[in-house]
Amino acid sequence: MKLRADLVQLYRDVHSWVGIVAGLFLFVAFYAGAVTMFEEPLQSWASAPIALPPPVSLEQTPALLEKALAAYPEARDDYTIAVTPEDAQRGRLTWDGSGGQVHHGPTQSMAAGLDAQGNLVVVPKTPSEAAHFVDVLHQQVGLPLPHTPAMVLMGAVALLYAVALVSGVIAYLPALVKTLFAVRLGQSVRKRWLDVHNLLGLFSLPFHLVMAISSVVFAFHGQIFAVEHMLFPGSAAGQHGGMHGGGRGGEHGGHGGGPGHGHGPAQAASGAADTAPAPAPAPQRVLAPTEILALMARQAPGFVPEVLNYMQLGHGKDVVRVFGHDARYPTRGPTGGFVVLNSHTGAVQSGEYMPGHQPAKFAVLTTFFALHFGSFGGTPVRWGYVVLGLGGAFLFYTGNQLWIVSRRRRERESGLVVETRGTKLLAALTSGCTTGCVAGISAVFCAVPLLPYGGSYGAVSAVYYSVFCVFVAAAFCLPGQRGIRLLLAAAGVVTACVPLMLCLHGAHLLRTPEGLGVAVMAALLSVFLFASAAKHTREI
Amino acid sequence: MSRTAQKLSSKNWFFKVLAAVFAGGVLVCGLMGLVGVLCHTDGSPRSASGQYLMWMAALLWSALLSVCFLFRSGLQAWGVLIVANGVVWGLFVVLRSVLL
Repeated sequence: MKLRADLVQLYRDVHSWVGIVAGLFLFVAFYAGAVTMFEEPLQSWASAPIALPPPVSLEQTPALLEKALAAYPEARDDYTIAVTPEDAQRGRLTWDGSGGQVHHGPTQSMAAGLDAQGNLVVVPKTPSEAAHFVDVLHQQVGLPLPHTPAMVLMGAVALLYAVALVSGVIAYLPALVKTLFAVRLGQSVRKRWLDVHNLLGLFSLPFHLVMAISSVVFAFHGQIFAVEHMLFPGSAAGQHGGMHGGGRGGEHGGHGGGPGHGHGPAQAASGAADTAPAPAPAPQRVLAPTEILALMARQAPGFVPEVLNYMQLGHGKDVVRVFGHDARYPTRGPTGGFVVLNSHTGAVQSGEYMPGHQPAKFAVLTTFFALHFGSFGGTPVRWGYVVLGLGGAFLFYTGNQLWIVSRRRRERESGLVVETRGTKLLAALTSGCTTGCVAGISAVFCAVPLLPYGGSYGAVSAVYYSVFCVFVAAAFCLPGQRGIRLLLAAAGVVTACVPLMLCLHGAHLLRTPEGLGVAVMAALLSVFLFASAAKHTREI
Repeated sequence: MSRTAQKLSSKNWFFKVLAAVFAGGVLVCGLMGLVGVLCHTDGSPRSASGQYLMWMAALLWSALLSVCFLFRSGLQAWGVLIVANGVVWGLFVVLRSVLL
C-alpha cells in the first residue's frame, strides 16, 4: 500500500510517543482485565465460608423473610434473595448493613438463615475484596487514586490508546503485505520485537478498537451525560439510578461500566422505616420468590434467574429486580442482565436490560458493552477474552521493548558509549512495572488465605502495591540484563505459587472448570516467565 | 488539509493536540447537540438516543484526536475547529429553537 512518506513518518512518531506514554498503564489494565474474567469464581474462592445453617429452600424463604424483616425493618427497603444453590451457600437472604451508603463493590452486608428449630440467625457477611481489587486496578489502569481523578486519567489513557491504534495502523500499512507473517526470529532483537508487535497488533485490532472506544465511554459517561442534560434541558437526567450497572444489585456493581451504580434517589426518602405507603388501603403482599421464578419461567424461558433484589423505591413503588443470564444472548453487565418487575403484580416495569427481550435499539447498545466484557457466547468467548487480554498486555510490553531497543541502537550509532538517562529510566520502568504488576496480582491471590476474611480492600491493596514497588525499585537498582532476568524469574516464582495456593487452600475451586482454568493459566504464565528469564537478551 | 505540498511533520504537535482536545471537545458537544435535536432526543441517560449520543461523542473525539496531526499548523487547527464550532453551534441553536 502506497502512502506519502511524510505521512507515514508523522504517524510513526506519533505512535511511538503516544505508545510510550500510555503503554505501561495499558499493560496493567489489560493484564488485570484478563484476570477479571475470573472475578466471580475467584471472589467466591477467596471469601471465607459463612457461619450460617444450611440455606432454607426457596419455598420456605417467605418464612425466613417474615422473621428477618420483623427483626430488621431497615432491610425492607432493599434486600436480596439468592436463587442458585451456590449463591445460597453465602446466605439465602442478604441486605446492605452499611446504612444505605452507596459504595463501589462489595460492602458490609448481613446474611440471614433459619436454624433447625426455625429460629432466625443473622451474621455479618464480609466478602474478600481480592477479586474486586483486581477489577478496580483494571478500571483505574493501576492508579491508586480516588475514583473520580482515576477515571479522568484512565480516560486520557484511553484516548491516547485510540490515537496509538490509528497511528500504528497507518505507520504499519506500507510494510503490511511484505512482513505480515514474517517473524524474523534469526535476525536482530529489534526486528523480532517489531514483527511480534505488528502481528499481535494487527490480528487483535478489532478487539483493541472496541476496548479503546468503550473505555473512553466508561471514563467520561458522567461528563457526557451532564453535557446532554445541559443541551436538552427537558430531560430527566437526574433519575438514572439502578438502571445501568450490570452487576448484581449492590453486591458487586463495580464493573457495571454504565452510569448510576447505586440506588435511585427516591431511596433516601424511604428512610423513615414503616410509615411508608401512607394512603394505600392495606399494605399489599409482595410476590414470593417461587412466584417470581414461575412467572419468569413462563414469560422468559431460557433466562436463568440468579438473584432477586426487592426494593421499595418510595411512593408505593415496590419493585423486584431479577438478575440473571441467558446463554443465547449477550448481556449488558459482565455477568448478566436484569428485568424490573412490580413486586406486587409481577408486571414488567423495565425490560431494557433483559437479555433477549430488549428493544432492538437497546440490544445494539448491549452489544457494545458485551464486546468490552466478553459477556456473550459463553465460556469459549470468555477464554478468548483472557487470551486477547494477555495478548494485549504482551503487545504493550513488546511496544516498550521496541522503543528501548531502537533508542539504544540510535544512541550507539551516534557514538554514545553509555545509555542516556531517558533510555535507562524507561528500561527500568518497563521491566519493573510489568513484572511488578504480574507479581503483585499473583501475590494478592497467594496472600488471600493468610489474610483475615480473605483480605479487606486495604490489606489487599497494601500487598499489591508493596510488591509492585519492590519490583520497580529493584528494576532501578539492578539495571542490565541480569536485573531483568532476576525480575522475570521472581515474578515467575510468585505466579507459580498461585496454583499451589489454590491446591492447598480450598481445592473445591479446582473442581470447577473455571478454577482449573485459572490454575492452569497461572502455571503456564509462570513457565513463560521462567522461559523469558532464561532467554532474555539485551542485544540490539 | 493534505492537499498541501508542504511536508507533514510531528514537530508542532502540541498546539494541534491542544486544539483537538479543547476546541475539538467543544465541537463534539455541539455535534452531539445537533444530532440530538435532529433525532428529538430528551438526552436522558436512560433513553437509547441519549446513550447512542454518548458513544458517538467518544468515537468522534477519539477520531478527531487521531487526525489532528494532519493540520498544517497549530494555528490552522485552532482556526478550522473554531469555525466548525461556530457553524455547528449556530445550527444547533437555530434548530433547537425551531424543532423543540
